[in-house]
Amino acid sequence: MTRIDQFESVFRAASKPRYAPGDVRLDRILVVTDLDGEAGRRYTARIMAFLGGVAGIDSAEWTELHGEAETVGALLEAVQNHRPDLVCTYRNLHSGSFRWPYTLGDHAAVLTQVTDAPVLLLPRPDDDALDEALKNTDRVMAITDHLAGDARLVDHALAFTRPGGTLTLAHVEDDGVFERYLDVIGKIPEIDTDTARELIAARLLKEPRDYVDSIRSALTDAGVTVTDEVIMGHQLSAYRALVDKQGIDLLVLNTKDDDQLAMHGLAYPLAVELRRVPMLML
Amino acid sequence: MTPTTLAAGAAAAAASSPPEVPLGTTLVFAGLLVGLVLCLAFEEKIHAKKSLIAGVFAVVSLFLGDALGLLPVGDVVNIWGQHLHLPVWLQGVDWPVIGIILGSSLFVDVTSGSGLFTWIAVKLTKASGGDPYKLLWSYGVMTVVFSAVLNNVTAMIIVGSLTAVSLDKLDRRDKLLGFLLTEGLLTNVGGLLTLISSVPNIIVGTTAGISFMRFFYVAAPFVVVATVVTILIAAKQFGIRRLGDDAEKAAARALVEGFDENEGLTSKAFFTFSAVMTLTFIVCIAGASALPVLSDLGMAFVACAFAVIMLVRYKSEVDRFYRAVDWDLLGFFVGLFIVINVMEHAQVLALIGAGLQHVLALGDLLGSGVLLVASAGFSSVTDNIPLAAMLAKILGGLGTPGDSPFWWSVIFGANLGGNITPIGSASTLVAVTIIHKNKLPMTFAGFVKVAVPYALVQLALATVYVLVFLR
Repeated sequence: MTRIDQFESVFRAASKPRYAPGDVRLDRILVVTDLDGEAGRRYTARIMAFLGGVAGIDSAEWTELHGEAETVGALLEAVQNHRPDLVCTYRNLHSGSFRWPYTLGDHAAVLTQVTDAPVLLLPRPDDDALDEALKNTDRVMAITDHLAGDARLVDHALAFTRPGGTLTLAHVEDDGVFERYLDVIGKIPEIDTDTARELIAARLLKEPRDYVDSIRSALTDAGVTVTDEVIMGHQLSAYRALVDKQGIDLLVLNTKDDDQLAMHGLAYPLAVELRRVPMLML
Repeated sequence: MTPTTLAAGAAAAAASSPPEVPLGTTLVFAGLLVGLVLCLAFEEKIHAKKSLIAGVFAVVSLFLGDALGLLPVGDVVNIWGQHLHLPVWLQGVDWPVIGIILGSSLFVDVTSGSGLFTWIAVKLTKASGGDPYKLLWSYGVMTVVFSAVLNNVTAMIIVGSLTAVSLDKLDRRDKLLGFLLTEGLLTNVGGLLTLISSVPNIIVGTTAGISFMRFFYVAAPFVVVATVVTILIAAKQFGIRRLGDDAEKAAARALVEGFDENEGLTSKAFFTFSAVMTLTFIVCIAGASALPVLSDLGMAFVACAFAVIMLVRYKSEVDRFYRAVDWDLLGFFVGLFIVINVMEHAQVLALIGAGLQHVLALGDLLGSGVLLVASAGFSSVTDNIPLAAMLAKILGGLGTPGDSPFWWSVIFGANLGGNITPIGSASTLVAVTIIHKNKLPMTFAGFVKVAVPYALVQLALATVYVLVFLR
């Protein structure tokens, strides 16, 4: 019954997720560093300046943990006690492994997976990119490989974009996976390979673009410019290129994956490699 | 009957009288007809397509018929006295019926490509606000209208697939079975609305000389009542109710608003053109018996002409629409008409007609009722098209007037009988296919158990309608 499938396909395609803006509360913010008190407070002040202009930041209740919560368990307990709406910290907390930039360190890796609160991962205080990185949030980019329907990601990216700033929605379809499937399709006589390539690629990119359209129409009065980068490419290098090209101030990405304990697909390598760009990890 | 075959008949009569057919020969051919009907009833078991079954019986019938000298072999003469070489086996085929089905299928297929019908379907879904009760009414009425304007199989495919997707979106999959069964049962009700809505209507209606508009006027009141009653029973049986509070309504509305009716549109211009052409098609089909030129060329010309006009849009790739035509169905009709034509010459139809006369002799009241119920019973277990073709030929042969209720008994019975079993009509079979595709449990007996009460109510309504209003 190919005609049933044809019509089901048309109706499935017609059924599109529509973006409806949601609230992002920033009532309680927790800053965690491994600095001593004074240096820690200076670092907190820089974060406050960086987030200046973000709605709700000025009235938020800020809590600082400088040099405390040395173990992962203690950190999680502190987070549980404070129940923050946002945790601000940096890579390789309480660890000397920052000299070898291949991990996030235990604290940040576990924190992003265990708490519900978004984690704002910033460059380390001793990073020479700190001044450049913590200017403002004029240019915010949300990145995902599944944008359609991800309202939470968009809400957070929007909440952290300063009024008058630019929100870029980036969706990169992994061309490696695509080519792998096309390679298999190329060996199946019943499926026309060229047609499959053309139609699947178009459909993969159409869904996020349609969602971007619904975001644009929902955010006409939001006071930010919404742009999009919906492309096919090698995800890691494509995101890196986009961040460099657009001079992004803040990257927003998902880190949790319902199917696994480890960090979501591309989040970990991006967080490890893009060390000079602040990241909001959901 | 066309002028050509009329003339052929007259010429044949002038040349020689039909041969006397011995009863034994007639019974042998009657056995062939029974064999055909049984094979069609068990086509799933014997794993053979309808066209092949009918084709085999057509070949055997023709060979035997000619070998026994039963067939009027020779040229036919048209109304201007011109001799045409038209093989005897082609003369029996009701080409106008084939033309209507072929032309309509192509027209509907190409028009579907414009996204017109999916646009209407999505618009109605959004208009319902996602309320299950309103959705049942929307989809029910849409099924009936699409069945009437397109055909019942296409209607079931469009509405059934939308139902699966939209109830999934609304998180109402528990109601999917009820929706799909109701829609399946309504396809055969909608198939009664116009002369071209189903094949039995075309065959019986054209034989009886019922015009498109008259058919519509007569059938429409019943279709409205049967639709309303069917939906009301379904809503109660399957527990499909209105949404209670405002929050539920708002959530459902937000979900259906996510449907984009323009998704299936290939081009705005073609969409508009298709909408205009569909309306014009309906007007031309409706007026085919009254409009100049069209009244000469007939509905088959209208259907094929509209198909050709629509195909111009896809002029370099028309073959893909040809591939989508149900050639099995068309081959089946050709084979079936050939078999029935041979049966006519072998006096099998006269024999059945003699039996049928006993039913007709019961009078308009009892005779119509018995004919309607018997037609429904027969249609529930095998294809309703052979029944319609055979009874139309027999009633025509008995000189039944066009305004006789017997024609309507056959039409109502043949259509509504399809609601008793899942194999009773192609559209209920499609409904069951969609049910299984969505991994819902539905056996043959399960379908019959659910469907029989609906079919009985519809048949009771039809019987009362025919006996009270059409007698």
